[in-house]
Amino acid sequence: MAEKPQPVQVLYCGVCGLPAEYCEFGPDFEKCKPWLIQNAPDVYPDLLKEANAKETDKVSDQLQSTSISAGGGSSTSKPEEVKRLPGGKIKKKDKQEVIIEKVVRNKRKCITTVKGLELFGVKLSDASKKLGKKFATGASVVKGPTEKEQIDVQGDISYDIVEFITDTWHDVPEAAIFFIEDGKKVPAV
Amino acid sequence: MFKKFSSEEVSAQNQVKASVQRKIRQSIAEEYPGLEPVIDDLLPKKSPLIVAKCQNHLNVVLVNNVPLFFNIRDGPYMPTLRLLHQYPNVMKKLQVDRGAIKFVLAGANIMCPGLTSPGGALDDDVAEETPVAIMAEGKQHALAIGFTKMSAKDIRAINKGIGVDNMHYLNDGLWKTERLD
Ligand SMILES: [Zn+2]
Repeated sequence: MAEKPQPVQVLYCGVCGLPAEYCEFGPDFEKCKPWLIQNAPDVYPDLLKEANAKETDKVSDQLQSTSISAGGGSSTSKPEEVKRLPGGKIKKKDKQEVIIEKVVRNKRKCITTVKGLELFGVKLSDASKKLGKKFATGASVVKGPTEKEQIDVQGDISYDIVEFITDTWHDVPEAAIFFIEDGKKVPAV
Repeated sequence: MFKKFSSEEVSAQNQVKASVQRKIRQSIAEEYPGLEPVIDDLLPKKSPLIVAKCQNHLNVVLVNNVPLFFNIRDGPYMPTLRLLHQYPNVMKKLQVDRGAIKFVLAGANIMCPGLTSPGGALDDDVAEETPVAIMAEGKQHALAIGFTKMSAKDIRAINKGIGVDNMHYLNDGLWKTERLD
């Protein structure tokens, strides 16, 4: 009997969804670039150089008196600037938090939406199944208004969902869970 | 084929009978012996197997709403790219050169010269009318699933025209259909 092959984990781009190495042939490579620099720097080493070159250009622009001689220097990139993006800013990651919101539908019926679990490496289809089971209700993964996927759970389960999330997915800290109440974001703890 | 595929193309979606389910499992295991050890994970005996019938005699095999395989009429089952990415070694591979990538990703069939040029690669064991993974020069993962029109040896010898039909490629409709509800 052949040995059981382990499924390969492919790095799919967070912007266009293609394997990261194909972003350059994707619908909009420019949009993928910031994500790639953050998450897949070894796939496109040139992107970092590009970012560095711009960075160095900018520095040399500021030092106007030496701008001519600095022109040659822009091709030699400095290793300590590697993590920076064009503009010199170090880009923040998508904030890792889980947001729970109760949405009331036809007076007494309501659904509880859970957003952001995927940022903690949780598979949403799996999470939706677990939530449905735990609260004995319907749960499904749906595309949210911002094109991001969220989980809709039928009924008001906000009372013990926090405990369930932290118990089930240990990577999700309680401090990263928030409720939306009256349009305001409040921490769960 | 899947250029504009979406759930609207599905004309009927049915849970298949146990006997049909067995047959599908069997033909997949025969076509891809490398998948045999994991076939129970992919197509669990106890989960219902759904076959979505679509236009142009296309069938898509779903488990838990996720498309895993497709075929045309009674033709061989082919894995979706997302599945192939997980088990890349279950299919024979042909490689196109870098210049061909953008054409393949636009849905074009694969021309012989793209496979025979220095950036391409051919596995001489591949016969005609065989499902193959289409790889690309300098890339690690498959970009398309193809169905050969000629054997690899003919592709090399004739070196003209379409060598492989492009069945399914990155960013086509099937790729975007991660779930079919
Ligand atoms: Zn991308």
